[in-house]
Amino acid sequence: MTAPTITSIRAGRIGDSPQRPDGRQKVTGEFAYSSDLWLDGMLWGATLRSPHPRARITGLDITGAVAMPGVFAVLTHEDVPGRETYGLERPDQPVLAIDQIRYQGEPVALVAADHPETARRAAGRIRVSYREEPPLADARAALAPGAPSVHPGGNLVRHVRVRRGDPDARAAVVVTGEYEVGMQDQAFLGPESGLAVPAADGGVDLFVATQWLHVDRDQVAASLGLDPDLVRITLGGVGGAFGAREDLSMQIHACLLALHTGKPVKMSYSREESFFGHVHRHPASMRYEHGCSAGGRLVYVKADIVLDGGAYMSSSPAVAANAATLGIGPYEVPNVVMDSYAVYTNNPPCGAMRGFGAVQACFGYESQMDKMAAALSMDPVEFRVRNAMREGSVMPTGQVVDSAAPVAELLRLVRDRPPPPARDTGDLRSLPGGVSNTTHGEAVVRGVGYGVSIKNVGFSEGFDDYSTARVRLELTGGEPSAQVHTAAAEVGQGLVTVLEQIVRSELGVERVAVLPADTTIGSAGSSSASRQTYVTGGAVRAACAEVRSQLLARAGDPAAGSPGNRPPGLAGAAGLGDLVALLGKPAEATVTWRHRPTAPLDPGTGQGQAHVQYAFAAHRAVVDVDTELGLVKVVEIATAQDVGKAMNPQAVEGQIHGGIAQGLGLAVMEEIQVAGGVVRNPSFTDYLIPTILDMPPVRLDMLELADPHAPYGLRGVGEPPAISSTPAIVAAIRDATGIPLTRIPVRPEHLTATQPDEGPDPPSAMIMGRNAPHRVPFDPRS
Amino acid sequence: MQVPTHVEYERASSVDEALEMLSRAGGEARPLAGGHSLIPMMKLRLAQPELLVDISGLTELSYINVADAELRVGALTRHAQLLDSAVAGERLPIVHDAERVIADPIVRNWGTIGGSLCQADPSEDLSAVLAALRATAVIRGAGGVRTVPAREFHAGPYETVVEPGELLVELRIPLTANTGSAYEKVERRVGDWSVAAAGAVLTLAGELIEDAGIGLTAVGAPHFCAPEAEEFLRGRRAGEEAFTTAGQIAAEHSNPVADQRGPEDYKRHLAAELTTRALRKAFERA
Ligand SMILES: Cc1cc2nc3c(=O)[nH]c(=O)nc-3n(C[C@H](O)[C@H](O)[C@H](O)COP(=O)(O)OP(=O)(O)OC[C@H]3O[C@@H](n4cnc5c(N)ncnc54)[C@H](O)[C@@H]3O)c2cc1C
Repeated sequence: MTAPTITSIRAGRIGDSPQRPDGRQKVTGEFAYSSDLWLDGMLWGATLRSPHPRARITGLDITGAVAMPGVFAVLTHEDVPGRETYGLERPDQPVLAIDQIRYQGEPVALVAADHPETARRAAGRIRVSYREEPPLADARAALAPGAPSVHPGGNLVRHVRVRRGDPDARAAVVVTGEYEVGMQDQAFLGPESGLAVPAADGGVDLFVATQWLHVDRDQVAASLGLDPDLVRITLGGVGGAFGAREDLSMQIHACLLALHTGKPVKMSYSREESFFGHVHRHPASMRYEHGCSAGGRLVYVKADIVLDGGAYMSSSPAVAANAATLGIGPYEVPNVVMDSYAVYTNNPPCGAMRGFGAVQACFGYESQMDKMAAALSMDPVEFRVRNAMREGSVMPTGQVVDSAAPVAELLRLVRDRPPPPARDTGDLRSLPGGVSNTTHGEAVVRGVGYGVSIKNVGFSEGFDDYSTARVRLELTGGEPSAQVHTAAAEVGQGLVTVLEQIVRSELGVERVAVLPADTTIGSAGSSSASRQTYVTGGAVRAACAEVRSQLLARAGDPAAGSPGNRPPGLAGAAGLGDLVALLGKPAEATVTWRHRPTAPLDPGTGQGQAHVQYAFAAHRAVVDVDTELGLVKVVEIATAQDVGKAMNPQAVEGQIHGGIAQGLGLAVMEEIQVAGGVVRNPSFTDYLIPTILDMPPVRLDMLELADPHAPYGLRGVGEPPAISSTPAIVAAIRDATGIPLTRIPVRPEHLTATQPDEGPDPPSAMIMGRNAPHRVPFDPRS
Repeated sequence: MQVPTHVEYERASSVDEALEMLSRAGGEARPLAGGHSLIPMMKLRLAQPELLVDISGLTELSYINVADAELRVGALTRHAQLLDSAVAGERLPIVHDAERVIADPIVRNWGTIGGSLCQADPSEDLSAVLAALRATAVIRGAGGVRTVPAREFHAGPYETVVEPGELLVELRIPLTANTGSAYEKVERRVGDWSVAAAGAVLTLAGELIEDAGIGLTAVGAPHFCAPEAEEFLRGRRAGEEAFTTAGQIAAEHSNPVADQRGPEDYKRHLAAELTTRALRKAFERA
């Protein structure tokens, strides 16, 4: 039942690309995901959710559910023993709805039963009376005076102001634009799931797929009314995350049911329920004005960005700060007026997703850069290069970029890549519409577009961002072997592999075991913000240094006192014999490691040393568009990214390919369609994620310009690929079609001058338990 | 986990036995072929038959052969078999065009032609293909055999003229000289159902169009065909102008509805464009 210890005796040090210890299991289907957790005698939990986006609950009758054989518990908000709300930044979200509903899918009641189908049916027997109210579905309207409030205190979650230079600056050439970003989903493949086991000491053990064990624990404990030590969380097998597991889903629910019934309770969402069970990427509505000299130097940028946070806060404040501080892109601009707003609406709650506020803004500023280049009759790459930020440049926040910022170089690299070969009309897979046979080259036009992006790495604005690692070196079977213990979540990114590589490099041992992540050790922070190799990698390195120092002390070495030194004795083969002798008893160290501090933003001007590190990537997209059918084929992506140090080159490449796929999805496929607060496409039939046939070849240039402030000089790599790939693709489609596309994802109807429409009325579905309820209107195709 | 309600199951070893089992149970029995459509319907409780008569073992209904200038396809032929058939590919390229883009290899390996047609989904590709080809369906019941033109086979969405107690046993597709055909589909993503699709069959007499068949998928064309556009083409000189106008006529007479696959206007636009493209390709192949 516990997550497997991932042991690896594969060789591989920093800079190598050893096989992932979990890779084979995942490919062969043997890996135990959190949805595979099982205990004999366990119960199954199901969730009753609101079909309405905004309503008052006027009655709730659970008798029908309680009466069903096999049902062990039916819970409502009155059964929450501790704090009735939770949340990452502020606890504004009810564990179970308290008298009112703020978004479609809000949990109202829970059931535990001895069979998942029984639990689901029992949830269907709970009678809830709703008095529906008109939902507040438009983020800009939510900010208007007199708009109904989603929460007491109004709909503004956060307004981030950034002011630099002269707010009234004027310029010779001015372009303005309005841009919109639809709601993207993380669309991880392993839906929310976990198993809560009540413990003899009154506490609970929770096995769950998550990104951040300790904030889960603290929120669960608060709502259960338990001391945090009584809530022990162990990471289950994670089937992808991308930000969606930073907030809670079934964690508190399963624990409540387990403590109420005294039995282990498993919860595992269906695909449909998963769409209602996690936060999404904030939709954005953006207005930009760029001013430029006749010679092509940016003079000013004014922008306002409205991010639809949906019904609850989640991490909206931090998303708004990212959009504001990164919102003019990796360019030098002397005068900036930037306002970014996160707002409450009755739409699905939005929070963390790969790129976190930088994605939305990048579509805005890169669209503007193309528009300005056109207004100046300049080459779009040349125009960007002319304004590119470099090391030493000053951010709109006043922060000096104090490590490599090779923006111009990245742009030149992708521009100078040889163009992909001409269309092969013999291979349908390479044409718009793919294998569906519709294009044989008719009306197909090729286009090329560019994008470049900036992203912060790690947590910002003065957040105490740290990780904890324990490293133990001992003899097993006469050979030295190391164990690493952290609470850092392996979410598929390959962290476990990299931690092993670090230990091998630091201690010179081949046998390394990474123990299951759990809360018996201190926090590792979140597996998000491209930070885990940096921060937990940093902690593991520091713990290794401690261990080394202990051993050197045992050997009577005078260098022992300075763990920063790296005496070759321990890492080299020559020292290995000594090492065995020194390991009469194990050496162990637990270290809490912090990156250099950041500072809050000044609330009036947005000035401050807010970010710890910046990362940059550039993309060139080549597309073919069937202009009659409105079909797009992305032919190739050329990308260049500075990764500081490629700790594991293959993993870096994997991150870059995957990020590009996600960026492609946002450009032309992926959108949760929400109308009047109601989600229309909660399935993988209708929420379209790219397949291998949609994904083009990627041509990659990887730079390794060491950041002197970061462990090994590394730079977080996870997010940049997902940021500027999107505007590059849209720019390429504009280039092919001449249509000024201002909204993503771009849909075929945008390219064929046909009318979009609102589509059919959305289903009025009660979503619950593991399964799509049969009351959802039938689509035999789903 | 979606669990169908209680259901009886019997496996037929001949067509006669299947017919007997079906008629014994009255309207509450359903033939089960590949189950790719029926089982999901049962899981969602949209179909709740009391008895399943499994016909998937009836090899006597699984064949593809040529007789009397017709291609004859047994109802239990799998999509994959039709796609593998050289004679279908040579004489009826429209069939291979369509089969290549129906679902995915897994569905095609097990789903049957008969099940596909009897499911009568408005987005079913073969319905349009057979309408364009003016095929004939052969239906057997206790009372004997009857034939129905493909264009009269559907009684509405998810409804056919096959009565309870009857089985679709065969499809007969005319093989005509000087004829070319093609099928063009737009799907949101590989393996998906049509946003819209069009099939065309052109029989030429020199430069003139002697006869035309046009099938339309997922755009609300009655009986999956476009008789007005066919009428327009008949006797006309084959060429870009005729094909474009025919596409427009086909689109005008279609009646798509907006759904997750696309807005109405875009689907109508596709009906025109795809009809034109299918005609062009059919002409090339004639
Ligand atoms: C994932 C997926 C994607 C798909 N994509 C497409 C697509 O892109 N295009 C497309 O056209 N189709 C598509 N399909 C549909 C697919 O073609 C059909 O599901 C399949 O062919 C049905 O055949 P079957 O043998 O499985 O029928 P079954 O499910 O066994 O039967 C379907 C219905 O027909 C009845 N029936 C079956 N055989 C007979 C008979 N001989 N006489 C009388 N009644 C009979 C059954 O009682 C039932 O009502 C898709 C299906 C799936 C599952």
